[in-house]
Amino acid sequence: MEKVCVIGAGSTKYGKLDDSITDIAVQASVAAIESAGIKPKEIDAGYISNVFGIADKQVHLGPVIMSNLGISEKPSLSIESACGSGSVSFREAFANVAAGFYDAVLVTGVEKVTHTGTEWTTTYFSYCSDFFYEGQAGASFPGLFASMARAYLTEFNATEEDFAKVAVKNHENGLSNPKAHLRKKITVDDVMNSAVVASPLKLYDCCPFSDGASSVILCSEKFAKEHTKDYIQVIGSGRGGSPAALQGRNHLTTIPSTKLAAESAYKMAGLGPKDIDFAEVHDCFTIAEVVDSEDLGFFEKGQGAKAASEGRTKLNSEISINPSGGLKSKGHPIGATGVGQVVEVFDQLTGRAGEREVKDAKVGLTQNFGATGASCAVHIFQSV
Amino acid sequence: MSAKEDFIENAKNGKVLARKCTECNELHLATVYFCKKCGNKNFENHPVDGIGKIVTYTIMTVPPEGFEQYSPYAWAVMELNDSNIRISGFLPNIAKPEDLPVGTPAKIIGYDARGIVLEKL
Repeated sequence: MEKVCVIGAGSTKYGKLDDSITDIAVQASVAAIESAGIKPKEIDAGYISNVFGIADKQVHLGPVIMSNLGISEKPSLSIESACGSGSVSFREAFANVAAGFYDAVLVTGVEKVTHTGTEWTTTYFSYCSDFFYEGQAGASFPGLFASMARAYLTEFNATEEDFAKVAVKNHENGLSNPKAHLRKKITVDDVMNSAVVASPLKLYDCCPFSDGASSVILCSEKFAKEHTKDYIQVIGSGRGGSPAALQGRNHLTTIPSTKLAAESAYKMAGLGPKDIDFAEVHDCFTIAEVVDSEDLGFFEKGQGAKAASEGRTKLNSEISINPSGGLKSKGHPIGATGVGQVVEVFDQLTGRAGEREVKDAKVGLTQNFGATGASCAVHIFQSV
Repeated sequence: MSAKEDFIENAKNGKVLARKCTECNELHLATVYFCKKCGNKNFENHPVDGIGKIVTYTIMTVPPEGFEQYSPYAWAVMELNDSNIRISGFLPNIAKPEDLPVGTPAKIIGYDARGIVLEKL
């Protein structure tokens, strides 16, 4: 297996964007290509992640993006894996470079949905659930995660205020991220007093619907060394699955796919949770970050909420979780999110993170899942 | 009749159409085609009463399209009394957590455009 590196990364701002889905996807791709210092012709293939291209009248995004980059002859494909599309796409790109099929590939994730309004997005996002049992029966995504939150509150010694502190921490981190969607300091009271969306989750427990695009260039170690000194290495990659519907799981305070993906990524890297300096995790809702922090092995089961509440996941504390601001503050353009996490790791490990830098960080982890964690990918990166 | 149609007919009568693996006896919902434990494809029908206890739920106040008129309502996961099978569904007329403590007994009362419909016992 070839060693695989990330040599360039770029993102648009996340938020409500005016440009089209194609425009923002190309903007992020150009930023990644320029950051890598390569020519588009050196790219062998494109991996595009997107879920609701139909909302902005463009599917089959691969060839459209490649044509706009002046490399229409290069192969590309689109990958849809709900909110986990970006990391799944990254994983497929990784596997093909590791196998030696390609020397350098473009991985671009994009989403453009905010112009459709809250009801459209709530309804369409519910199609990512096991619809027969969940979406069809009136469960939205906040509702499904709220059910996990209710299970957590029932099973463990945790409070809604503990969850609120995850949101407060991520907003604090996002303040230092110029590309974040919600750059606003909030308090525990703000969270607790915000409107209930799906009890026990309130508006400020939820990430926003965002537009945005992120892009990275993945390549073999040989290619990286020939082009730059500023690159990072992918040292672990893992994937896993869970029963698509929550009713198929015996425990609702853990996400089986995360545990499987983490186990396999840690094994490939030859590392464990204690070796990770920072992690970009899937905090679509505050409860999700709590569960992630346990499933990734940073805290014992049932301790994640208290750990967050005690500040042990803040920037430059015991383990910096979501230094970018996470989905909660940075935003969640669902097809782009998993790629955006890699952009943050690249920026952190190459000294580009500015005020939100995790001090002396050498190893970063990304975890991104689809739906309620029916699909998940975990990746581990190391500076060189 | 497809497995799903059969499942729906049972739900309309308050039943959950489960299937028992002929090799290892593991129970599944009828919408599963291979045994998750041993991989066997042969099952025998094993309908069970759609009666159980709520293991978790949410109260929806920002509903998806088509559910506006029912808000607030619950979406709940129930564990059946006669097996370890869990089934989720729409549970109307729930406004606050006190209306539906975890552990509340409930049953399936039908299936319609709102999917599987549950009711407190």
